[in-house]
Amino acid sequence: MNLEDEQSAPEADNTSSTESVSPQKPASFLQERRPQVMEVAPQLLRHWSRRDVLLFGMGAMAAAAGGVSLLPQTTLERWGIIHEKKNWPKKEWLLNRSLRIDDDVAEALYSRNRIVPTYTKSQITPLKNNYNGATPGPSYIPDWRLTLDGLASGLSVSLSIRNLLASFLVREQITRLVCVEGWSAIAWWAGLRFDDLLRAYPPMSQAKWARLESSVNLGRWGNPDPYLVSLDLSTARHPQTLLATHFNGKPLTVEHGAPLRLVVPVKLGLKNIKAITRITYTKDEPTDYWAKRGYSRYDGI
Amino acid sequence: MATTRVAAATPVPHSVAQLDKEPVVTSAPERQGGVLVLHRHHLLVRCSHWLNVPILLGLILSGVSVYWASPVYQHKPDPQTGNVDPLADIGVWICAHVPGLHQYSNPPDWVYNHISLGPGMLAVALRLHWFCAYLFMLNGLVFVIGSAMGAGWRSLLPRRTDLRDALKMFRYYTGLPFAKLTRRTWPHPRFKTKYNALQRVAYFSVPVVGLLSVFTGWAIHKPMQLYWLAAIFGGYDKARMWHFWLMWVFILFVVPHVILVLADGWDTLRSMIVGWSTRVERSEDFSQ
Repeated sequence: MNLEDEQSAPEADNTSSTESVSPQKPASFLQERRPQVMEVAPQLLRHWSRRDVLLFGMGAMAAAAGGVSLLPQTTLERWGIIHEKKNWPKKEWLLNRSLRIDDDVAEALYSRNRIVPTYTKSQITPLKNNYNGATPGPSYIPDWRLTLDGLASGLSVSLSIRNLLASFLVREQITRLVCVEGWSAIAWWAGLRFDDLLRAYPPMSQAKWARLESSVNLGRWGNPDPYLVSLDLSTARHPQTLLATHFNGKPLTVEHGAPLRLVVPVKLGLKNIKAITRITYTKDEPTDYWAKRGYSRYDGI
Repeated sequence: MATTRVAAATPVPHSVAQLDKEPVVTSAPERQGGVLVLHRHHLLVRCSHWLNVPILLGLILSGVSVYWASPVYQHKPDPQTGNVDPLADIGVWICAHVPGLHQYSNPPDWVYNHISLGPGMLAVALRLHWFCAYLFMLNGLVFVIGSAMGAGWRSLLPRRTDLRDALKMFRYYTGLPFAKLTRRTWPHPRFKTKYNALQRVAYFSVPVVGLLSVFTGWAIHKPMQLYWLAAIFGGYDKARMWHFWLMWVFILFVVPHVILVLADGWDTLRSMIVGWSTRVERSEDFSQ
């Protein structure tokens, strides 16, 4: 860009202190440059003006139409923009695409060696029971067993909580649980490492995913509503991914997913499934309760 | 007029010559009948400026819906409604006091129904928020490239005298309506730069606020992998508050920005569309 100017204007008093040098050569890299003045025929100016206003106006209309079409139908109905349900083909495609890009970014950011911050007992904050539906009654606990499927042995393994506590080292950690809704809580957990379970009962060689299921999960009206979580095995092997049995130094209560729940601090709270009843290792990505309802599938934080 | 040519009093800036696509006459300036114009905004800066309108609107609409899921600011539950959210209280107040809204079906949702996608839209609001946030970051890049190519960034840098001059401008703007009403002369403070000090403060702050919004956004989006970023803003919960208040800075900037541009006239608004301005007097000041 040509910044010199043949009209070398005389130097003036410098109240603003910045233009202290002749316009031929800027005093410093940071100094404001002289604007470029030129003479244009009025006809041409009107032509430019018309063309650019039309172009930007069309761009604005396209952006408005595109933006409105991305908004959910209920919002548009509420605003009175549409009056009946209309289905735009592929409307969700773009938004889902950005969700996948965001998941890829989260996966790229994840490192098995990055330990998330831990806290002291004085920093613990209350953790609410955020069961989406009704909280199950304690009747399932006496007969509870964890079933493992998709193992290298080809067998199905069934474990009781006593088996688990007897054969695995129990570890403690105080980490932050972050909910997709935005709130977070610092909680004190104890349990076995998921990694230890994977070593004791290795999954089949092609397995890349764990499908965790809670068959005791309930819907809002107390109806059975199995909760399903997909977890990539790389995250399952993170040293801070626990299959927790204790909360605040005591065995888990029903509200927090007795007798065994997942604590995975590198994922959103909704992946931290309570009252796990079955873990299945799979080659392909399993279904996920909240991903089916429009949330992300990877949920890495 | 087929014979129209750009008659350049100075070497024609590259970008304008490109827009024009006509041969540039650099010899023998034809002064008669020509209009002096001043190149003000690079094409990329103009594009990123206008793209910010739908992007920021999308970010705010979806962001308020995300806020609804777990409001940062909460008070003790209201004895009657059990409500903890001050924003929802505003909705309750509006429905109780604005005529015609007394029958509104769910008063606590009034605010969310009108300045967001609506309550209970978290999944779709998050998707829209990520979509707009990635566009916003790309758009920031377009702005940086445009400012570098057009060298416009130098005009935005704050200066030592800015505080005093900005106060002068503030006094001018606040006194202007009164001066108009009383038909007093109210001279515009003279300045020799592209922007006055108040504009510089505002236009320099906006990219900074944008950058801080992006950083606080990442801090609360990936608080584990980027925990150091959250720590810079005082931890996850504080970073959420930062992000919330940065939205208000944008809103507080936009309102006077639009009013002042409209008050300043068509040339100023047009210059953000076409890139040039016919107000060259100030530029002559600039060199004297």
